[in-house]
Amino acid sequence: MPKLEQLSEVQHKMLVMFPCADHDDAPWTPLQRPLSESRLALVTSAGLHLRGDQPFVGNEQSYRVIPRSASPADIVQSHVSIGFDHVGIYRDINVTWPVDRLQELVDQGVVGSLSDNNYSFMGALRDPGRIIEETGPEVAQRLLDDGVDVALLTPT
Amino acid sequence: MLGRCFEEAGISTTGIVFVKEHAERVKPPRMLMVPFQFGLALGPPDDPETQHRTLKAALDLLEREKGPVLEELADDTVPEILLQASAVATKSSDAESGGNLSPADELTALRAYYERWVEAHDGRTALGLSGIPQRRFRGMVRFLEGYAAGEDEDMAERPPEVPVPQFIRYCVDDLKAFYYEARMTQWLSHDENQLHEWFWGETALAQLIVKLSERLGASDDADVKSIAYGLAR
Repeated sequence: MPKLEQLSEVQHKMLVMFPCADHDDAPWTPLQRPLSESRLALVTSAGLHLRGDQPFVGNEQSYRVIPRSASPADIVQSHVSIGFDHVGIYRDINVTWPVDRLQELVDQGVVGSLSDNNYSFMGALRDPGRIIEETGPEVAQRLLDDGVDVALLTPT
Repeated sequence: MLGRCFEEAGISTTGIVFVKEHAERVKPPRMLMVPFQFGLALGPPDDPETQHRTLKAALDLLEREKGPVLEELADDTVPEILLQASAVATKSSDAESGGNLSPADELTALRAYYERWVEAHDGRTALGLSGIPQRRFRGMVRFLEGYAAGEDEDMAERPPEVPVPQFIRYCVDDLKAFYYEARMTQWLSHDENQLHEWFWGETALAQLIVKLSERLGASDDADVKSIAYGLAR
């Protein structure tokens, strides 16, 4: 996105004032094996889900499962934000959900394999308390159960 | 937030952020800041080369020995300031908006283009939040026209747990997707702003959406007002 100082005063203020939890440091899990032997899952905050799933509503803190077997044709977006142009994802889902690009990396041997299930949350949350306490750890456990080594996180 | 959560559970993470100032505060373990516009995390649509470059830069962060790591993608892209789609038309068009067609006529005129879009994209379409198939969109438009006119309209297809204003948003999102995908088939070379100029400046559906937004915006309920605000942008 443009640098904050290039934005209009309203947009600048909205982003600067957006509530964020402050931390001094980050938890750290080093890569356990080379990426070419790792299993990777895609996790997004773009409000994507399968067509037929319940769409997301604003500030929702639960998640939707998107199986690896789902075709891009099965996936829709119900993110409520008006802060992005939808035309990009109309044209190409890989702008946010890079399933084709990741499959190409697996085919090239750069990434070992892809998780059976990927996950989607709602973004632009002003209070992600339930994700931190409940739904985030729940998805982490599901990823571990699926043998995932690496999670790739994408926004919209 | 999710990065910190997964990393605490023993999963290595990397990812993409748009707002450096937020990531500096939250401190996710590994993040790549991209210069692209919101909505385009990996880069422009239909540009696998840039998307791969972004992915590689994000995955390379996994090799770092300690963190948190927040790195900027080296890229010359200077994105334009985002204008709301409706503001693009207001800004660029002095013409009277709306043609002589009704939304129902427009649906009929655009249907073949929409169906070509779906066929050309292996079945992919952004349409699907309302649960109503596009062949029945004329009925959906009648419902929206009645609601905009102040009538107590509803649709049998609305799930009981979804309030009417929320369902209207799903219907409008589906109609926007239908129009844009049809138009992108009709005018392959049109960029985003040209699409927005056409939709908000020339279609009868956009006028209907503005009327819907006015009725919903008159509500005292903050959630309904928020839906009204989003619909017309």
